Amino acid sequence: MPREIISLDDLTPNNVGVLKKINQVTLPTTYPESWYKDALQSDQIVKLAFYSELPVGNIKAKAIKFSSKQSFENITNTKETASSGSDSQPKILPNAVYIETLAVLASYQNLGIGSKLLSFIIEETKTRFIHEIVLHVQSSNIKAIDWYLKKGFSKKEEVKDYYKDQGMEGADADAFILSIEV
Amino acid sequence: MSMRKATPILGSKEDIAFREALKLYDAKQYKKALKLVDQNLKKNSNHPESLTLKGCIIYFTGTKTEADLYVRKGLARSPTNHLVNHLAGIYFRNVENYAEAAKWYKAAIDNGSQNKQILRDLSTMQVQIRDYKNLKESRQLYLEEQPGFRANWTASAVAQHLNKNYDGAVSTLSKIEGLIKEHLSESDKVEHSECLLYKNSIISEAGNFGKALSTLEADEPEIKDKLSVLEYKARYLMLLGKLEEASKIYRILLQRNPDNAGYYSLLEVCLDTASKPVEIRLKLFSKLQKFYPRSDPPKFLPLTFVPADHPKFIELAKSYILPQLEKGVPSSFINIKPLYKDKLKLKAIESILLEFYNQKLNDKSVQPTIIVWTKYFLAQHYLYLNDLVTADRYIDEAITHSPTLVELYIIKARILKHKGEFIQASEVMNEGRELDLQDRFINSKATKYYFRANNVDKAIDTISLFTKLEEDAVNGCKDLHLMQASWVLIESAEAYARLYRELEKAKLSNEDADSEGADENEDDEDVDEKIELYKGLALKRFHAVLKLFEIFYNDQLDFHSYCMRRGTPRDYIETIKWEDNLHSTPIYSRVMKGLSKIYLDIYEQQQAAKLKAASAASTSSGSKNKKNKKKKSKAQGKKREELAAKVASEKEDQDPFGTTLLNNVVSNGNGKVLDNLFELFKPLLVEAKDNRFTWELAFELYVRQSKYVLAMQAIKNLNSVYTNYNGDNKKYKQIGDMVLRLKETTKNDPEANVAIVKVVEKGLATAFPDLTKGDEEFMQAYID
Repeated sequence: MPREIISLDDLTPNNVGVLKKINQVTLPTTYPESWYKDALQSDQIVKLAFYSELPVGNIKAKAIKFSSKQSFENITNTKETASSGSDSQPKILPNAVYIETLAVLASYQNLGIGSKLLSFIIEETKTRFIHEIVLHVQSSNIKAIDWYLKKGFSKKEEVKDYYKDQGMEGADADAFILSIEV
Repeated sequence: MSMRKATPILGSKEDIAFREALKLYDAKQYKKALKLVDQNLKKNSNHPESLTLKGCIIYFTGTKTEADLYVRKGLARSPTNHLVNHLAGIYFRNVENYAEAAKWYKAAIDNGSQNKQILRDLSTMQVQIRDYKNLKESRQLYLEEQPGFRANWTASAVAQHLNKNYDGAVSTLSKIEGLIKEHLSESDKVEHSECLLYKNSIISEAGNFGKALSTLEADEPEIKDKLSVLEYKARYLMLLGKLEEASKIYRILLQRNPDNAGYYSLLEVCLDTASKPVEIRLKLFSKLQKFYPRSDPPKFLPLTFVPADHPKFIELAKSYILPQLEKGVPSSFINIKPLYKDKLKLKAIESILLEFYNQKLNDKSVQPTIIVWTKYFLAQHYLYLNDLVTADRYIDEAITHSPTLVELYIIKARILKHKGEFIQASEVMNEGRELDLQDRFINSKATKYYFRANNVDKAIDTISLFTKLEEDAVNGCKDLHLMQASWVLIESAEAYARLYRELEKAKLSNEDADSEGADENEDDEDVDEKIELYKGLALKRFHAVLKLFEIFYNDQLDFHSYCMRRGTPRDYIETIKWEDNLHSTPIYSRVMKGLSKIYLDIYEQQQAAKLKAASAASTSSGSKNKKNKKKKSKAQGKKREELAAKVASEKEDQDPFGTTLLNNVVSNGNGKVLDNLFELFKPLLVEAKDNRFTWELAFELYVRQSKYVLAMQAIKNLNSVYTNYNGDNKKYKQIGDMVLRLKETTKNDPEANVAIVKVVEKGLATAFPDLTKGDEEFMQAYID
């Protein structure tokens, strides 16, 4: 038995399948193969969470240039055109960490796994001298929103039809932007 | 070989040149050696030594058949020339004809060679062909020649041991012990220790446990392998009836390794508790459990001897299983399974599991992993009972609960396999594999399941993640051959065999459907080509496994002298015994099962074709064949090349598709098909007599070869395998069918020898007296 029942570990080329599987069964969104390939790039902040040595959760985030005035096009774009680590683009100093996915298998929720992942990302953000964490969450996902609010996030604004490309409609397609200062 | 002590027969110029050539040959300078030999032969084309040496050289530089020719020529010219004899010995050893090599090494010595090294090579050949009688002699002679090496004493003792001359072996070993005692260096001591234990094992093999024990105790200070000392000592004491003393040693052994289940049973034998009431045994084990709380056997073994209806069984089973589920031990079901032979225990365990499961389901604070491991256990439990619906339900729930647990996919796939859904099973297994690409176990499983789904390419691609990839190799196929992955080869052979049979079957039903429509000629050609391809590859893969067995056999060669030098005679003897039963391993039978089906298919098709040819004048077939040889387009040629790269089993494979192999099997003369198959099958008759398959195939072959008496013997042997295995005299339908088939076949064979038919008839009647009641009543007796 490990001393800590919950532990975090790195993503490797050999366990990318786990990341994929957890996202598949927990998230309403689907990601292309290239997104998972990118997850192994060094500019990504990725961890898998293990419960009793079984992988049950993950977080994937990256540092971005973020301004609340902006229409978040760039965030959305980086998500869709995936390959963001290219050197050809001019380097922009990032000012926020954007959480792309934070997921825990349903049977393993409310055990502190999500909190552990979140506190990891907060620490990671601080080491990069960045002071804001942002994310999108489905407007209809009350449970998740409540969880983030409880963790100190605040609601920024709503983006209509954010998830439309994922085949969702109506209220399900809308997303809130949440953020927290760290 | 060294020829330092050249004999006076070397006098002429040719002989001097020959000696020079020999030196070059020894130095592997084959081209230069060949030049000299050829010069010699130009002057004297009958010079026997040169002829033989030329054969030896050509073995390395030219064609094998030519080499053989020269060696035989040399031998024919001068069969008593020891140089020729020696060279012939070397040649036959190189071509792996060990019996012939032994013969000529022996001749070299008998014809006066002074080169005593030959004795060593001779003894290697003799033990390789298990000619123990003559081995003893040559080892003894070599020992007399070179008594300064311990290895030669050990070798001589091993020869005596293999001849079951225990006293001789012990005395040889004791003699060298005495001689060497004062001169042992630190580095010799490991060898010394091994030889002492070897001597001891021989004394006990001779049945003299008292002497073995006293010798062991005397030698103990010099023996480094303390574990063996204890194990030997405990065994001797037990066999000598000194149970209490033996039990003390088993307790010491348990302290050393409390996970060895065997020690517990042996301790019980010493304490004579097995015959006592369960309570006494339980007391013993509860004590042992306290001594070794982290070991499995003291917890598990009580479950094997406490009956299911004993008041303590449930409690014991619970305290064994439930902690494993709570901890999430993946092998918990495997640990329990041995108990399932007892149906009452199975039921008891089932109710324990269900009770635990329901209780945990209602427990809100339960660790989720406990739920999934319990579902996993239950799925395996119902799979064991072949209740696939329930098993499937549990495993699906488990996967929904914890979709990242690799083990679950293995069971899900296995359930699908049991349902006959091979393709789906392979997909599920692969889904599990993708969760952990570095898990070798599930990688192999996924490979196997792809094979079972007849998806050979996917299978090879999957396993290739764990093989070495040569430069420009498209997959690991060659490496799998090199690494002797027999399970991969056999699975792929079986897949190819299924593929060609499917096509043949489909073709037959097509032919029946449109017997006149000849417009689909193109398709037919394609199908024929595919059938041939798969059949060839199936043959090729099966034969590749057979080749591995040849390699296993040849691999012994080095150990006959190496183990003597290293001083590991005990392991050597074990290896020899293992080699003697090499072909009784299940994989060999499995190869023969698959291979015989193909050979018999071919044989039956040939018989059918013969009948057809006899009835119809063979006019049409000639033109049809020509049409088949249509020129292949470039594109097809390239496709074929790509395919060859995928399936080749070695570098520059001359026969990547097994086409030549197939043609050889098919066109090797009439009736030869069976003879060739029989040759491959023969080892089973010696080494796997307790295997049902051995006699089943023997029967099939003998009946077709019209060897009726042997066929009858095969039935009798099969029957006694059944009887020995089950310990009863059940009358199996299979036996009944065979008896009647043999009876009918002999009766209807117009060419059968009348006397033989009589012998079979009588023999069957004696062995199966029910036969006199008439066929129908006979079969009614054989229904099991």
